[in-house]
Amino acid sequence: MTSVLVAGLGETGVRAARQLLDTPGIDRVVVAARTEARAREVAAALDDGAEAWALGASGEFPPGIDAVASAVPAAADLVLARAAVERGIPFASVTDDREVTSGLIALDAAARERGTRIVAGCGLAPGLADVLVRHAAGVLDSIDEIHVARFGVAGPACAAAARRAQREPVIEWYGGAAASVRNRGAELVWFPDPVGARECELVGTGVDLLAAATPGVERVTARLGMPAPRRLTAPGFRAVAGSRRRDPAVGFGAVRAEIWGWRGRERATVVYGVIERTSIAAGTVLGVATAWLAGALPDLGASGSGASGLATAVEPAPFLAELARRGVKAAVFEGVAVA
Amino acid sequence: MKGYQRGLLVAGIAIAVSAVVRIRGQGRVPPTSGGWRELQGPDFR
Repeated sequence: MTSVLVAGLGETGVRAARQLLDTPGIDRVVVAARTEARAREVAAALDDGAEAWALGASGEFPPGIDAVASAVPAAADLVLARAAVERGIPFASVTDDREVTSGLIALDAAARERGTRIVAGCGLAPGLADVLVRHAAGVLDSIDEIHVARFGVAGPACAAAARRAQREPVIEWYGGAAASVRNRGAELVWFPDPVGARECELVGTGVDLLAAATPGVERVTARLGMPAPRRLTAPGFRAVAGSRRRDPAVGFGAVRAEIWGWRGRERATVVYGVIERTSIAAGTVLGVATAWLAGALPDLGASGSGASGLATAVEPAPFLAELARRGVKAAVFEGVAVA
Repeated sequence: MKGYQRGLLVAGIAIAVSAVVRIRGQGRVPPTSGGWRELQGPDFR
């Protein structure tokens, strides 16, 4: 019997649980929240036999768990990860917090010792964007520059993490090492419709994981764009003209990965993009990664132990094919350079 | 005269550097005209 635990029942966690319930080979899904009432409420809404569990401060797990999908706020992620490693349970995390991600990767030795696996950054970026970058390695002979951008947030916790990332120092990978950058360099990035062109700022999110997954890369940058905050109007007053038009990209998340390298003696670029409801895309990536860790989707990657990012852990092509089968479809930009 | 020679030297260095950059530069012009195509079965092999 294959059992998984989904910890954290925000928008992403609930979608990940749904994906796991729909995965053949997963027999039992336990959903866990800080309070038992919330866990019961979500388990009842998911139906399909989901069980409820209240997360304790010490990171107790229900018996018989084969893998953990973590969508808890960043501060609680490391506690859960350590508890999972101690018990030899594989652990997938959706967090994009740079400090927490580094903390998860630092559990590498402990995970190897226990013969288990930690996969950090199982969301949009880091996560799906990194897998797309590794997929590009199949069409390029070498990769030397990676520029990843993400637009959109899944829920309130995700939005808070994104705002924090925009306040933290910008980190970019340059010449084989992480370097601080002063300028946030806001730039228009073209995502697939309906998100379209959005202003995105440089952040440090996921840069280390991308560099680790792409040995020899010279430059890595990550950008993040947030939807405009909702305009508040006083009761009885109409918002200013034009503001009532709903942004077509509300609720959508998008990633774009621009990969530069060489094909033979020719300079070449590959641009991949994905667009989907943010929580659905992130939840599907987390759910599929967890199902693989639990052994339900063995074709997605080789077994092993240690801590790494998603792109290092899974095989890009079957992973992307599995996501496409579940409705999260990647696209390639086919065009010509116009100087 | 000295100022004139210095000016010539600076201009010469600038021309040499720009020539090197132009010849060795990798030209970052991403595709800007085209469209998105969904990845299909053959792309996943």
